[in-house]
Amino acid sequence: MNRKYPKKARTLQQSQDLWGRLFVLPAVLFFSIFNFYPILNALWTSLFNRRILSFAKPDFIGLQNYIFLLQSGSFWNSVRATLVFTAGTFLSLLALSLLVAGLLSRISRGSRFLQTAYYTPAVLSSVVAATIWLLIFDPRGIANQFINTLMNTPGVDHRWFSHPVRVQIATMVVYFWKYIGYFVIVVLAGMASIPKTIYEAATIDGANGWQQYWRITFPLLKPTVVLVSIMSMLQCLKTFSTQYLFTQSGAPLAPINVITLNIYNTGIRDHRIGRASAMSIILLIIMMVFTYIQFKTSKTDEVSY
Amino acid sequence: MKTMQHLTHLPWKELPRRYGAGALGLLIMGSLLVITVLPLIFMVTASIMPSGEIMRMPYPWIPSELAFRNYYRALAGHDESFIFVRNIMNSLIVSSSVTVTTVILGALTGYSLAKFQYKGRIVIFMMIMATMMIPFETIMIPLYMVATKLGMQNSYAGLILPFMLNAFGVFMMRQYYSTFPGEFLDAARVDGMGEIAIFGKIILPNTGPAIATLAILAFRSQWDTLLWPLLIAQSHEMKTIPVYIVQFAAERTADYGAMMAVATIASVPMFVLFITLSRYFTGGAAVFSARKG
Amino acid sequence: MKRIVALALMTALVASALFAGGQKEDADGPVSLTYWTHEDPNRTPLEERLIREFEAANPGVTIRRVTHPSTRIAELLLTAFAANQGPNIFNTQLENSFAYVANHRVAPVNLEAVGASSLEALLGRYVEGSLDPVHIEGKLYGLPLEVLNWSIFINDRIFRDAGLDPDRDYPKTWEDMVRVSEQIVRREGNIITRRGFDFRYSDYLIALLPMVEQLGGQLVSDDGKTAIVGEEAWLEFLRFMEQWGPGGQNLGSPTYRNARSLFNHDNDDIAMTHTGMYQQARIMADNPEFYESGEWRVVPFPVFENAVNDIAACYYGQYLMVNAQATERQQYYSWKFIEFMQQHAEEYLQIGIIQPSRELMESDLYLSMPYADVFAADMERARVVYHAGNSSKLQELFKTAVESVMLGGVSPERAYATLKAQAQEVIDEG
Repeated sequence: MNRKYPKKARTLQQSQDLWGRLFVLPAVLFFSIFNFYPILNALWTSLFNRRILSFAKPDFIGLQNYIFLLQSGSFWNSVRATLVFTAGTFLSLLALSLLVAGLLSRISRGSRFLQTAYYTPAVLSSVVAATIWLLIFDPRGIANQFINTLMNTPGVDHRWFSHPVRVQIATMVVYFWKYIGYFVIVVLAGMASIPKTIYEAATIDGANGWQQYWRITFPLLKPTVVLVSIMSMLQCLKTFSTQYLFTQSGAPLAPINVITLNIYNTGIRDHRIGRASAMSIILLIIMMVFTYIQFKTSKTDEVSY
Repeated sequence: MKTMQHLTHLPWKELPRRYGAGALGLLIMGSLLVITVLPLIFMVTASIMPSGEIMRMPYPWIPSELAFRNYYRALAGHDESFIFVRNIMNSLIVSSSVTVTTVILGALTGYSLAKFQYKGRIVIFMMIMATMMIPFETIMIPLYMVATKLGMQNSYAGLILPFMLNAFGVFMMRQYYSTFPGEFLDAARVDGMGEIAIFGKIILPNTGPAIATLAILAFRSQWDTLLWPLLIAQSHEMKTIPVYIVQFAAERTADYGAMMAVATIASVPMFVLFITLSRYFTGGAAVFSARKG
Repeated sequence: MKRIVALALMTALVASALFAGGQKEDADGPVSLTYWTHEDPNRTPLEERLIREFEAANPGVTIRRVTHPSTRIAELLLTAFAANQGPNIFNTQLENSFAYVANHRVAPVNLEAVGASSLEALLGRYVEGSLDPVHIEGKLYGLPLEVLNWSIFINDRIFRDAGLDPDRDYPKTWEDMVRVSEQIVRREGNIITRRGFDFRYSDYLIALLPMVEQLGGQLVSDDGKTAIVGEEAWLEFLRFMEQWGPGGQNLGSPTYRNARSLFNHDNDDIAMTHTGMYQQARIMADNPEFYESGEWRVVPFPVFENAVNDIAACYYGQYLMVNAQATERQQYYSWKFIEFMQQHAEEYLQIGIIQPSRELMESDLYLSMPYADVFAADMERARVVYHAGNSSKLQELFKTAVESVMLGGVSPERAYATLKAQAQEVIDEG
């Protein structure tokens, strides 16, 4: 098997391989039981017309569930809701964190304080966040008061929970609020890892602050940005609790019926567990495609200092 | 951010002059500060306000009287059983246990994947990474079947075991160890040190900052988990904080003051951790910028 | 590398084989039962006591009572049953319970355990019709935890504050409801700070469908084949809701906090709400002062002026059921415990929960309950809530239609067309 090693080294190599495998075994067992088995189970279920409470042997229907979904308006609406949420949240997070991190790196005092303050919402749990924002977005809550004071439009109800567009914005705001500090800090850490000699050279060349930022910092941040993007995009595609708690509190379902919520409702409320599984598999594929694209684009032009 | 010092010697006042966008920049940073902090101030002020005042327009911000009764109602619950205290303990127990297992298993797995050459390690790594893409709602029912078959419902084991390790932990530790100099390990092996001793005496002790960061991330994400404890913890004694909040909110939709008190209490442990360990909280981000060796 | 993949696959397969086993039968030893119910602070002490008494009377039997938030229990039950780990005894809303019967997940009543000589004798203990929803193909699958209906609660103080006399001016028709609410409502700009009445937007089938039926419409035709019957009735109803919402007279909307919990706090938030007899016990618990003040009353469910049917809000129920996967003995003791609960109907009534036995409904205690007559009269002109496998899906579509006209600026005609098409699709899919 390992022909390139001489005999003695081979046994050493083999014993090391054994140790390596031994060390990885607990993780393999863990992921098999708690991740791979459930997902294979979901894949298998997606090929059946299974109802959640039924004792009867479900009919094998091949790809029927997938075909149904691809022709279903409600499913495509969920794809739309998920993509809109992901794009909206993730792009605004990315843009603002790049901007704010750039600004923070320039101020001499208060940077540490601001970072900490921005990060604070991230330590709150999602349930707490939703509870707070449900009160803030109440018609009598401070969201309306804030906007009305700012725009001098007293007494207008901006209908955060009912207007089809604004309810989507509301879900994004909750997410944005929770993660902006985290993003800012990630970007700052990325900036800190850029060698300062590059800036010194640029300063000698006469580049001012913003030029330095756009020409040096920004492109060199790419590896950081790509990694963060993938992680946070996956988080956004998986978003569930905010939308779930919003609809439970009376928000209309359609505008924020993200795929995970649709999976949940199809499986639990409508009992169609086969169809819900098919939806999960499609979501999984969507995530894989996005990840692949991002990795691909980041690989093509690796940055080197 | 010490490396940025050379850029940040400028006094605050000079900013607008030195950088054209300074005034606008300060405005942006200030607005972001308001947006992030205001909801928290709202939570805390509302928690000590009589419920009737909270939905008054405009929001008073300063309570007319200190309604500490909100905190009593939050803690006591509707049946005065103070089960919330037990639930807070549960959250602490579960999150700490998950933190410990994530760190140890994450280190072991990450070390194996980064520093050994056996065949198949790439595939294992990829498969583990792929689990990051599984939405929990997808595997909820099969996972529930697994847990109940193993007799884990309504127990700490049920709350902890399915979260003992996660793909992010493996990823982070593997990244960390990939920059760890292999010569140390080879030298130790030549000295006749066993593999377990190497892991325990060389690898783990040299993983301090990464462990601290991973520990905090693991603790935080476990603290947040709602759906699983809701399913698996059946008695009130086994419930965790998020489950208590959902239940409390369902029963007392109009008792805003007590709800905000519950929210505040639920956030205190995390705030305390955050303040004492903020270095590691924010340091968690640095792992993303780790470049290849 | 292949070996590793094979290993992972094998582990997964072994795991699946391990977890695919069935429920095991237990011998003559002690019997332990689990009872899942929704959270109800008033009921917990009573039932805990009943359990202790039952355990004392039946040595070897232990019962574990588990409560879940009322908003979540339906989902939790489903997940547990899907994993074949359902509780032995549970209760769920009628709309959800149908699926358990249809899929043979629940066992028929054990007559011996409930001490009945025949099914007819057992049915005879309850008010006529109250067990119909769980009496299917000659078998009875549940006994009532409660069967109830909702009427309109009024806060007298707010009425007087708005210059209304609660004795005389309480709304008898929906048109009255609009007029009275308009007089009570207070706004700052468009934002309502005090509402007259507002609907129960989470329960369309119970609370709003009867309004359509008053006008002659139906959710599903009698033969079960056509959805959304009676175009004129539906359009008139949707127009009414459009007028109620922020795009019309702005009297209320689903985005405000739900009316019935605000009502208890007597915070000058809301003057009227639509709820059941149990609300009285909750007012007492949340706000004893308000309860004692007697400044509240209950009046009948209104009808439209041009109504063709005199129909009140639907009655619905929570039925106690027994898991068919439980062992023989577990089932026996489950039914025995359920029957034990039925024997304490008067104590349930004291916390506002009505088990519709003939004995109870004729008792002095029931007749002396505040406003029992109002609820009973509304019950007379109510029918049972629509319950079928697709009821929650249809309710979702109904909700979407109403909210689209109230909040989304969709015309009633278009909302009607969408609703009809989508509901028909659900019906056709079966």
